[in-house]
Amino acid sequence: MILAAAMNPGAFSGAQDAIARMRRGDPDAVAAMISRYQHRLYRYLLRLVREPAAADDLFQQTWLRVMEKIGRYDARRNFEAWLFSVAHNLAIDAWRDKRGESLDDGGDAGAPPTERLRSGDPDALERLLDFERGAMLAACMHELPGIHREVLTLRFEEDMKLEEIAEVAGIPLSTVKSRLRRALEGLRAAMEVRLPGGRRA
Amino acid sequence: MSEHESHQVFAGMLALAAAGALDAQEQRRLEEHARECPACRRELEIWSGYAQGLRQLPQPPVPAQLMERTRTRLVEGRAAAADRRWDELMLGALALFAWTVGLTFWFVARIVTGGELVVMGANLVRFGTWSAGSTVLVWLTAAVAAIALGKRRRELRRAL
Repeated sequence: MILAAAMNPGAFSGAQDAIARMRRGDPDAVAAMISRYQHRLYRYLLRLVREPAAADDLFQQTWLRVMEKIGRYDARRNFEAWLFSVAHNLAIDAWRDKRGESLDDGGDAGAPPTERLRSGDPDALERLLDFERGAMLAACMHELPGIHREVLTLRFEEDMKLEEIAEVAGIPLSTVKSRLRRALEGLRAAMEVRLPGGRRA
Repeated sequence: MSEHESHQVFAGMLALAAAGALDAQEQRRLEEHARECPACRRELEIWSGYAQGLRQLPQPPVPAQLMERTRTRLVEGRAAAADRRWDELMLGALALFAWTVGLTFWFVARIVTGGELVVMGANLVRFGTWSAGSTVLVWLTAAVAAIALGKRRRELRRAL
């Protein structure tokens, strides 16, 4: 938090101001925060639960819970880590309710890869190949246990520090490290099965 | 520690190094080792490829209207919470009103009956008997009101 403030004081005070207005129930501040975090929070939830409908519902529940708890939020804490920890807890509850997570559930839904490519790209073929590699990596990640998908997305997509990941997942730092290592090893093993003879991502 | 053992230790740190999860001292020691060890250098490159790939995964599109649906649900949630607060306030006010009425009637009953109204062996205008009877009545009324309010809330929720 202090580091964040030192690196980008404008953004930090802006976020604090938005949080203060959220506490007063200002609907514009709430809308601004939802808009600000919608891509990241939805992506995190989707990586975690793998089903778009469940991620959609959990996204909404997360904001409901955030608004319930915002009065008790300690402003010295990192808001993002707090927000993701709220989402994490709801996802864990949903998992418990659902019982038995299947590893061969459908992949992340949405448009097919080619439709998601930006048009007008100067090197569409190279991007398509990159995308296919990315899609394969995503598919392999999809096969990993939820706790491993979580640390991977928080570390590499959310670019969170290990301490923040520990706060989100409610685990010690040493567990974050061991999970991260096992997740990467599991991912690599899955990729090597898909790419016999190939070792690079 | 032999060179082989030390190599094994560093090899176990390569994935975390690519994830930026080593502390400064571990990172420095690993880099020193990798400069002298082609196998670890190659492995580090592979792990770095994975790290880079994970940073560039295809991004899932956010469902249409997700933000609007979330805002609508928040508005509904706020309305429901306001309803709950109002219902709780009403229940409290009703209980207080019932106690006040009970106490007033007790005074009136004492004056009218001269402090004695015996039914089946119990003096109904004694403070203990009267307050026990009032308590039962107040709680029964509160329970009926809570059931009625709960029913109304469920109907409203279904209508939304």
